[in-house]
Amino acid sequence: MKSGSLIRVGVDTGGTFTDFVIFREGRLSTKKIPSTPDDPSRAILQGLSEFLESGKPLLVIHGTTVATNALLERKGSRTALVTTKGYEDMLSIGRQTRRLLYSLKGEARIPLIRRTMCFGLAERTGPDGRVERAVSPADIRALARKLSALGVEAVAVSFINGYADGANEEAVARELEGRGMLVCASSRLLPEYREFERTSTTAVNAYLMPILNRYLGSLQAGIGPAALRIMQSNEGTISARKAKMEPIRTALSGPAGGVVGSLHLARSAGFPRFISFDMGGTSTDVSLVDRDIRRTSESAIGDFPIRLPVIDIHSVGAGGGSIAHLDAGGSLRVGPESAGAEPGPACYGRGELPTVTDADLVLGRIDPDFFLGGKMKIDPERSQAAVGRLASRIGKSTLETAQGIVDIANANMEKAIRVISLERGIDPREFTLLSFGGAGGMHAADLAAGLRMEAVLSPENAGVLSAFGLLLADSVKDFSRSVLKTTDRVNKADLERTFQEMEKRARKELTEDGFRLKEMLLERAVDLRYLGQSYEITLPFRPDGYQRLAGMFHRAHLKTYAYQNPQGAVEIVTLRLKARGLSEKIRLRKSPPRRGARLADAFRKDLPMVYRGQRLRGPVFDRALLEPGQGLTGPALVGDFGSTTFLPPGFSLRVDGYRNLIIRRGR
Amino acid sequence: MRKNAPDAIEIEIFKNLFISIAEEMGAVLGRTSLSPNIKERKDYSCAVFNRKGETLAQGSHIPVHLGAMPLSVQAALASLRFEDGDLVLLNDPYRGGTHLPDITAIAPVFIGGRPAFFAANRAHHSDVGGMSPGSMPLAREIFQEGLILPPIKLRSRGRMNEDLLRLILANVRTPEERKGDLLAQVAACEKGRVRILEAADKFGLARVERYAGLIQDYTETYLRRTLREIPPGSYAFSDVLDNDGISNEPVRISVRVKIGGGRAEVDFRGSSPQVAGGVNANLAVTTSAVMYVFRSLIEEDIPVNTGLLRPISIIAPPGLVVNARFPAATAAGNVETSQRIVDVLLGALAKAVPGRIPAASQGTMNNIALGGYDPVRRKDFAYYETIGGGMGASAEHPGLSGVHTHMTNSLNTPLEALESYLPLRIRGYSLRRGSGGRGANRGGDGIVREYEFVVPTRVTIMSERRSFAPYGLVGGSPGRKGRNILISKGRKTNLGSKCDLAVQAGDVIRIETPGGGGYGRK
Repeated sequence: MKSGSLIRVGVDTGGTFTDFVIFREGRLSTKKIPSTPDDPSRAILQGLSEFLESGKPLLVIHGTTVATNALLERKGSRTALVTTKGYEDMLSIGRQTRRLLYSLKGEARIPLIRRTMCFGLAERTGPDGRVERAVSPADIRALARKLSALGVEAVAVSFINGYADGANEEAVARELEGRGMLVCASSRLLPEYREFERTSTTAVNAYLMPILNRYLGSLQAGIGPAALRIMQSNEGTISARKAKMEPIRTALSGPAGGVVGSLHLARSAGFPRFISFDMGGTSTDVSLVDRDIRRTSESAIGDFPIRLPVIDIHSVGAGGGSIAHLDAGGSLRVGPESAGAEPGPACYGRGELPTVTDADLVLGRIDPDFFLGGKMKIDPERSQAAVGRLASRIGKSTLETAQGIVDIANANMEKAIRVISLERGIDPREFTLLSFGGAGGMHAADLAAGLRMEAVLSPENAGVLSAFGLLLADSVKDFSRSVLKTTDRVNKADLERTFQEMEKRARKELTEDGFRLKEMLLERAVDLRYLGQSYEITLPFRPDGYQRLAGMFHRAHLKTYAYQNPQGAVEIVTLRLKARGLSEKIRLRKSPPRRGARLADAFRKDLPMVYRGQRLRGPVFDRALLEPGQGLTGPALVGDFGSTTFLPPGFSLRVDGYRNLIIRRGR
Repeated sequence: MRKNAPDAIEIEIFKNLFISIAEEMGAVLGRTSLSPNIKERKDYSCAVFNRKGETLAQGSHIPVHLGAMPLSVQAALASLRFEDGDLVLLNDPYRGGTHLPDITAIAPVFIGGRPAFFAANRAHHSDVGGMSPGSMPLAREIFQEGLILPPIKLRSRGRMNEDLLRLILANVRTPEERKGDLLAQVAACEKGRVRILEAADKFGLARVERYAGLIQDYTETYLRRTLREIPPGSYAFSDVLDNDGISNEPVRISVRVKIGGGRAEVDFRGSSPQVAGGVNANLAVTTSAVMYVFRSLIEEDIPVNTGLLRPISIIAPPGLVVNARFPAATAAGNVETSQRIVDVLLGALAKAVPGRIPAASQGTMNNIALGGYDPVRRKDFAYYETIGGGMGASAEHPGLSGVHTHMTNSLNTPLEALESYLPLRIRGYSLRRGSGGRGANRGGDGIVREYEFVVPTRVTIMSERRSFAPYGLVGGSPGRKGRNILISKGRKTNLGSKCDLAVQAGDVIRIETPGGGGYGRK
């Protein structure tokens, strides 16, 4: 996939702006176009027009929220579900649990596909994969007629034990496809046991198929001969054709671009092990990268479990806009209610309730004259008043209360980071905190110190990190085969053959996508558990590793759960192959320090600040004018267009060759 | 501002700290255990305690363990001396347990040479021996129900007591699974212990202990405020259990709730004496049900801990079905009687605050335990599960269909997991249409679940609301009663609410769970 004249463009659709990062003749550039939420492709085509007109070969890599939004807003298609007869209520029953444990009011629940659109067919496959009752062709035809009459656009087919053998699902899928319906069979998408999760994943995919078909179809028509690839939630891209068939794979693709972009940037800067921390107005995303991006198969969007590998990103509903209030038991809470963009924090001039951003402003962590690069006026007195009203209710000073709001917000963030690190058996002290997002910079130094992390890295131009990540993302395909045998019973030659078969298929598919052999990277992994457990640990697998599998697993179990059972039988559950078609790497260039640059050039003013009860004065610097090699000690603020970085007393900051800010404790 | 007044900021930080420790323990237990009832259905609870054995926070797991958990730690404290590195097990309902399948593991957290905190968890084991597989038998005394463990050290000063483990495993039908589950419980305790030590290291022991006390005050403050919103007065209600599984007599549960001055007195003196069959509840179970109801009235996200009990006095003299004396059988007290105690408490409160109380939910957990010999896998099997049903409707919402209500929220076992693990097939799993009571808001529908047996199997069913329906409120109709049916060689037999029977290959048992009551006149 290399070509000297090829123009590559990463396009990330956000709520406000559509970001473009362009790689052309060895140079990177960026641009922003206001988004067009009613039809996101308009902004994209507008942004791409200059490249389309240039007549040069063009590759567009797109991260889209169309699938996510359709799901959250329930604006999907007219979808039917076909199950084994007797299980039509599967989506309604779910796991037979309620969401609220302690509530007398009850709760509302509306399944994605209404019961009247769920149909059962007499058929059965056994748990061993034997088809005990084949589905009758007459039943299939009758069903097909019914679905046509109902005007169904897409159909999910998920039969009991369909993971073990998909013959009955295939028979139904072929007939319905023959009649022009879009069909998703569970055995094609996710051949894994647990009927509810598999059926839910299949139903969500079917629900999204018509939406993505229309959206990508019109986008493709607009860009003509240019190649279009779509970002998946698993860190890699897929062809637009594949995305239309399996749109669920794109459902978390926005944050995925950000993580890929972060990885490239942090690696270049010499920090290959980091925790990304993206704190925005209403929510915060954290993800751990240990040289490689970590993935999970246990995610959900809204109420819907998604059992496909996605980047392990943990989100909490807390951000700069989270509202602080005193609850009826006398505890100061921060969130989950958010002031959002409207009315926004008190300092925006409309809301009356104090938010995290207001507390930051009271403590002098935001320069009121340079909010959003000075483009938005904010009123520190309104923050003072809002925090002050809360302070008088809890019997503390305004400053103590503001510090308390920040401490609680940080404790919530710390909890989120614990989930993706310590709860996975990983020690955050060995990692760098990579901070981006509008509200992250005010909190990152304290947060990292609280978790005893070694440094904070704050990239320049973080706003386009997602689009940058799209440009760099490899093509990734996942293959898996169930094994379900213990390590002492398994035949090594069989395992090796299975891996080789998957590798052969992977090479074939990547070749079809235009990759050469030397651009392919195949990574083997294996899912292991103690015989009888329900959850596996995934370990990388080396060809010489057959003898050591059990030992590796005992150690991993000890590390993750603090115990091992060396006598316990170890079961090989699944063999996995992750096949990458490597995209052309883009080397970030170090920018040389400007000759004669002085720190004083970036100095803007002095500002009063408060840190842990100490009243201080600290300088404010303009990030755009800081130069590589320069350093600062706290207290200080560094502001740029989208965010502010707060450097507390006792911390120092250095600007590296890529214009990242590196913050550490001490001088 | 008083010098020693609680600090609103610190309360919030410590509250979240204790909750997250309990939740992390739960994650370890779920992910490393072996039996479907624990790993798939999450039938367990984890909690953190102060040195007196009072709960600080409990993970959002199973409400029926609420009141019972602190009594476990307190029973252990009363009967043995903890040393660093110990791990104590117990399941005796008369010394800190609830019913025998629930085994509690307790680890002390030693700081400065004394146990400053405890980390504990309780998990429902799918077999602890006794007269029938799955250990939910139709027994007449506790000795028939399984192995009884008084508070006893599985690990002493860091050394496993292998002899005790061998004794336990020799008394159960599925020893490998029990061993794996017990190890997972030990690992979860260890997780809790390490996290508490970290917290004490970071914040200092004195501060952690101080806020451990204050978050109980915090929860108490919430409850007192909620109690003051209820019109003062005395409110009574009564309902029955179908029977005790031995005789056919209904078993009465009566309550009189007196509200006033931010306090509640809950008087069960009108209830039946304890009975021969296993529907007897001990005081721990009754306390859990009372805590659940008052916790739910609060409707806000707060930690559940011993502070909930401070404004409440429970009157339940020993010898009643709500506070049974040794050696009464108790297997179903935890799972069935607890639900009826909730029903009568809510029924009484509905007279005080009718707009805030929902109609009765299914009022049972529909317990099914089974076991036998599996000739294909060449080993004994024992399995236990419960089935959801209709939720009662409220003024705000229709009742949910096909869910667990009130005292439990355990998940279903995926039938694909079940079929690859046991010699049986699930022939249908659907909602029982029309079983929810009519009303302005309808009650939720129950579930129909059909088991087809592949080998001769011994089956125990412990269920309720087969004779007396879940009530509707404010003019809503009752939910439909449940049914348990055996289909053998084409013949249908109604099994009643509790039974113990041997089924043959090809037999089918069909469980139809009750609907929830409706709310408001249609």
